[in-house]
Formats: sequence, structure tokens, C-alpha cells
Amino acid sequence: MNTTPRGLNRWVLAVVGLLALAAGAAGLALLTVPAVASWWAAAAPRVGEALDGARTRTTPDGQEDTWLWLALAAVLLLLIVLLVLWITAQGRGRTGIFASTEDPRTPAVGDPGGPGGTDAVGTVTITAAAAEQALKAALLERPDLAAASVSTWRVRGVPGLRVQVFPRKGVPAYAVAADVSRLVEALDRVTGYRTPVLISIRSGARVRFSRADRVA
Amino acid sequence: MTTDLPDRSTPSSTARLVRRELHSSRAAASVVTAALLIVGCLVLLFEAVLQAVGDEPFLLDLDAAAAWLGALPDGVPASLLGAGSVLLLVIGLLLVLLAVLPGRQARYAIPNGRAAVVVDAEVVASSLARRARIAAGVGPEQVLVTVGRTLVRVQVRPTSGIPVDAEAVRAAVADDLRRSSVDPEPRIAVVVADSGVIGQ
Repeated sequence: MNTTPRGLNRWVLAVVGLLALAAGAAGLALLTVPAVASWWAAAAPRVGEALDGARTRTTPDGQEDTWLWLALAAVLLLLIVLLVLWITAQGRGRTGIFASTEDPRTPAVGDPGGPGGTDAVGTVTITAAAAEQALKAALLERPDLAAASVSTWRVRGVPGLRVQVFPRKGVPAYAVAADVSRLVEALDRVTGYRTPVLISIRSGARVRFSRADRVA
Repeated sequence: MTTDLPDRSTPSSTARLVRRELHSSRAAASVVTAALLIVGCLVLLFEAVLQAVGDEPFLLDLDAAAAWLGALPDGVPASLLGAGSVLLLVIGLLLVLLAVLPGRQARYAIPNGRAAVVVDAEVVASSLARRARIAAGVGPEQVLVTVGRTLVRVQVRPTSGIPVDAEAVRAAVADDLRRSSVDPEPRIAVVVADSGVIGQ
């Protein structure tokens, strides 16, 4: 339900993995194939000379060493920033607003000003907590659920609800799904929106170690 | 009543929610990989800055490292180089597999008119076990249900002296599966053990 960049994750993992594979294969080839070892023995000094040449050519007069070090530092810094951005992109997308009249997709419920309510002064906002609490309170009344949690996430630009329920052992999933979707439809009528909803029927440690409900 | 409500959820967004819930996001592997790369980059960055200002190297002498790399099969024990290379190969293979494999979660999708519904295989299994237990007339400890993507395996240990009707168990399990209409629909295998146990 979050906006984790899954395609990016897989691409970067593939690139890093291929680089590691190549390095490992090169190490093994140097060790086991004499032809590769002799080729590297001939090629490495030439690479070294090329690097030394670049180093002397880029060293400004009166300076001790090349400015390429600073360029390398800048590149590494950029790489580090990109990696940090990659980490922070994981698992994002929670939102605190369920609906607001600032939203152009707003229903014009009881508002003569028409869609968006542009004639009205001020805005009406339903916070995510309101919708979450309403649904959670209804879910926790049920004896066949050991636990429930509701959170709000942005799904393609609109707020959507993630409903996680943990049924007790032996409770049929189709019954839970039907009942929860009925509660969601009741919430639709209360709030005036049909939001995207994910109902996730989960099994957790709490359910696993609890006994089945004997009087269910 | 609900048809005139403004609709913010579309069939395609529901399908996307289900698809994302059924597959791993690879977030954990990504965070670990990024953290390791950041540490490596920080060390290199530090050394590069030290070189730029003309200071002594701190942890890693870049010139010496380059020379070591150029002389490679020599200058390091063969066992160490081999072990390091194999380690790199294994890590690389692991990352490529993480990137390429679908990473399916042990979950099913249940069709629903209003919402995207996914259910852990374990929840399905415990519901099936309950139905099978009632159909077989045995205790909860005598039934074991394993749920895979294509096969549901029901193992029943009958109570001594009381036969178990395998067909009835299969029918009960099939009924439960059909009501859930889990997707994809698995096959059902019912195994009744030859030896019974002392029932409660």
C-alpha cells in the first residue's frame, strides 16, 4: 500500500548484484586461469601509467596533487546522497488527511456552491484518524477478530485505507472479508467517498499462540 | 445508495493494490544494500578528501590499494583471494535473484466487489483445518493442513476404532475453498493415516 519504488529497488539490486558477480568472477579467473593472470599482469601497468599521466596532467602548477581527488569526492558525495534518498523512499506514503473540500474531486454534499464548494468560506477536512477510528471501533467489537488496525495511505494520489485484521484461529476468511467490506461500505455512506480500500486478513504471532475460540 | 457516491477507487487501482500485496517489495534488501554501499562510499570519500588536502591516509591508502589491485594474483594468499571471490559471487547471485524472482508472498487474493482483499495462507489453512476437523469428527490435534500455491494437503489421524470418511473431509474442504474463491484455486489432497490415535 505504500509508495516503495519497487521497480527501482529491483533495478538497483540487479545492477549491484551484477557488479559483485563480475568482481567475484574476475577474482576467481585471476586465480585459476593462467591466461587471464598473464593478461592482467600485462594490462595493469598500462592502466597504472594512464592513471599517473592523467594525475600529472590535472595537477595545477604549484599544487601537490590533482584536482581529480576533489572531483572524485564530489561524485562520491552525490552517490551517497542518492543512496540516502533511496533508503528514505522505502515505505513512504502514509497520509493524515482522509478527505478535504480543497480537493477538486470533493462531493458537493449539501453545498449550493457546486463542486468544490468555491462559494463557501473555509474548508472542511476529514482527518485520517477520524475514518480510522470509526472503522477500528467497529472492527474491535467483533469477537472473531483478535486484533485490527487501520491506516491511511496515498494510492495514486488519493487517500486509501489499509485495513489489517487478525482473525482468531479457524475463522473463515470469506466471512471476515464480507463483513469488513460491509463495514467499509457503511463508512462510504458516512464520509461520502468511495476510497480505495485494501483488506488484509493476516495471521500474526498473537493469533498463532492463542487457542481457537471454543464457543464460536 | 452507494452508486451516487464519488468514486475514488478504480478496478485498476484495486488490481494494483492486490498485486503489490502478493509480492515482496524488496525494501529490506534495498535498505541493507544501500547502507553497505554508503559505508563504502564514506570511506572512499574520506580518503579522497585527505588526498586532496595532502594529508596522510587514514584507513585505506588509495595508491597502495591500486598497486595491490594491479599485482593481484600475487601479494595475497590464494586461499584468501579464492574465498573473497566466492563470497562476492554468492552476494552478487543473491542480489540478482532478489531482483529477478517474483518474490511471492504466502497469500491469496479473494474477489470482492468493494475492496482489494488479500488473505494469508495461514488463515486459510486454519479455517480449512476447522472444517476438516468437524467433518472428520476428530480433535484439533489430529488434523494438519498445509496450504501451498497449487496444493492443499489435509492430513487426518483418525481416532482408534472410528473410521474417517475421507470423501466427506474433501467435500468440506472443497466447500470452504469455493466460498473463499481464493485465486489461484489449489488442488486438494486428503491423507488419512493408517494408524489411529487415542481420542479425547
